[in-house]
Amino acid sequence: MKSLYRHFVKAATLFLLVLMAFSLSLPSRLFFVKGSNEASLIEEAESKLHVAFEAVLEAESVGANVSGLIARLNEAGELLAEAEIADKIGSFSEAVSKAEQCSVLADGVMDEAITLKGEVLAGAQIAFWQDLTVTAMGSAVFLVAMFFVWGWFKRAYAKKLLRMKLEVASDVEA
Amino acid sequence: MLKLEDYRTVFASVGLIGVLLFASPTLGLVLHLPSGEKFSELWVLGPGHMAEDYPFNVGADVNYLVYVGVGNHMGCSAYYVVYVKFRNQSESLPNATAGTTSPLPPLFEFRLFVEDGKSWEAPLRFSFSNVSFFGDRCLVGSLMINGVTFNVDKSASWDVENNGYYYQLFMELWIYNVESRAFEFHNRFVGLWLNMTSV
Repeated sequence: MKSLYRHFVKAATLFLLVLMAFSLSLPSRLFFVKGSNEASLIEEAESKLHVAFEAVLEAESVGANVSGLIARLNEAGELLAEAEIADKIGSFSEAVSKAEQCSVLADGVMDEAITLKGEVLAGAQIAFWQDLTVTAMGSAVFLVAMFFVWGWFKRAYAKKLLRMKLEVASDVEA
Repeated sequence: MLKLEDYRTVFASVGLIGVLLFASPTLGLVLHLPSGEKFSELWVLGPGHMAEDYPFNVGADVNYLVYVGVGNHMGCSAYYVVYVKFRNQSESLPNATAGTTSPLPPLFEFRLFVEDGKSWEAPLRFSFSNVSFFGDRCLVGSLMINGVTFNVDKSASWDVENNGYYYQLFMELWIYNVESRAFEFHNRFVGLWLNMTSV
C-alpha cells in the first residue's frame, strides 16, 4: 500500500513538474509566435504596398490619371506607418490590425491600377491609330493638293514668261 | 523675278512643313522630349506654415508644432518615407557629402506617395516628458510625437559655447527605388535645434 502511495506521489510530482515547465515556457512561446506573426504581417503589408505602387507607376507611365490611386496609397502608407510604430512600442494587436487594413487597401489599389492601365492602353491604341490615319490621310491630301498647285503655278509661270517682251536698253554699259 | 527652281524649293519646303504639321499628333505620341533635373524637396515649417517661429527653447510637457513637407520633381510619382530621429550633440547626423544616413534608429515615420510636381505636408506635434537636470547634464526620458510616446533616455551635456543643453529633432528623406525594390536614403535631411531649458 505504501509503495503504491509513493508511486502515486512520485507520478503526481513529476506531472506537476512537467506542467510547471510547460506553463513557464508557454507565455514566451506564445509571445514569440505573436511577435513573429505581426512582424510577418507588417512585412507582407509592406511588400503589397510596394507591388501596388509599382502597378500605379506602370499605369501612370502609359498616361493614366493616378491621382485617386495615389490618395488611396497614401491611406495605406499611413496605416503601414502606424502598424510599424505600434509594433515598435509593443502594441501588437494594433500593429496586426493596421497591417491587415493596409494589405486590403494595397490589394485594391493594385487591382484598380492594373484595370486602369488596361483601359488606358486600349484607349491609347485606338487614339494612336486614329492619329496615324489622320496623319496619313491629311498628309496625302495635302501633298496631292500641293502637286496640283505646283502644276498650275508652273503653267502660269511659263505663260507669264511667254508673254514677256524683249526690251533693249541702249544706254546700258556692258 | 525668282527662277522656277527657286519656286520649286519654296513649294518643297511648304510641303514638308505641312506634312510635319499633319504628323505632329502622331509624332507627339512617339517622341518624348528629355525631362529636366530630377530632385525632391524636404522642408520643415513653423506652426504658421512659414519659415519662422520654429521651436527652439523647449521645456517638458509643452506641445510644439511644426510642419514637415516633401516636394516631388522626379518626373513620375514617388514613394517616400520620412524618418524622424532625435539626437544629442555627440551623436552623428547624416552625411550629405558621402550620402550616408544617420545610424540612429528612427522614432516616428511618415509614408507618403507624391505625384510628380506636387507636394505633401503633415503636422509634426511633439513634446518632452521625464526631463531631469543633474550637474552639467540634462536627461530627456520620453518624447511624444503625434500622440505616440517613445522612451528615448537621451542625455546632453552643457554646451559652454552656446549656453544650453542642445538636442536635435531631424528628419531624413528616403525614396523607394523601383529597380532595387528597396528604400534608399535620398540624401535630404532637415533638423530643428532644441535647447532644453526647463523641467
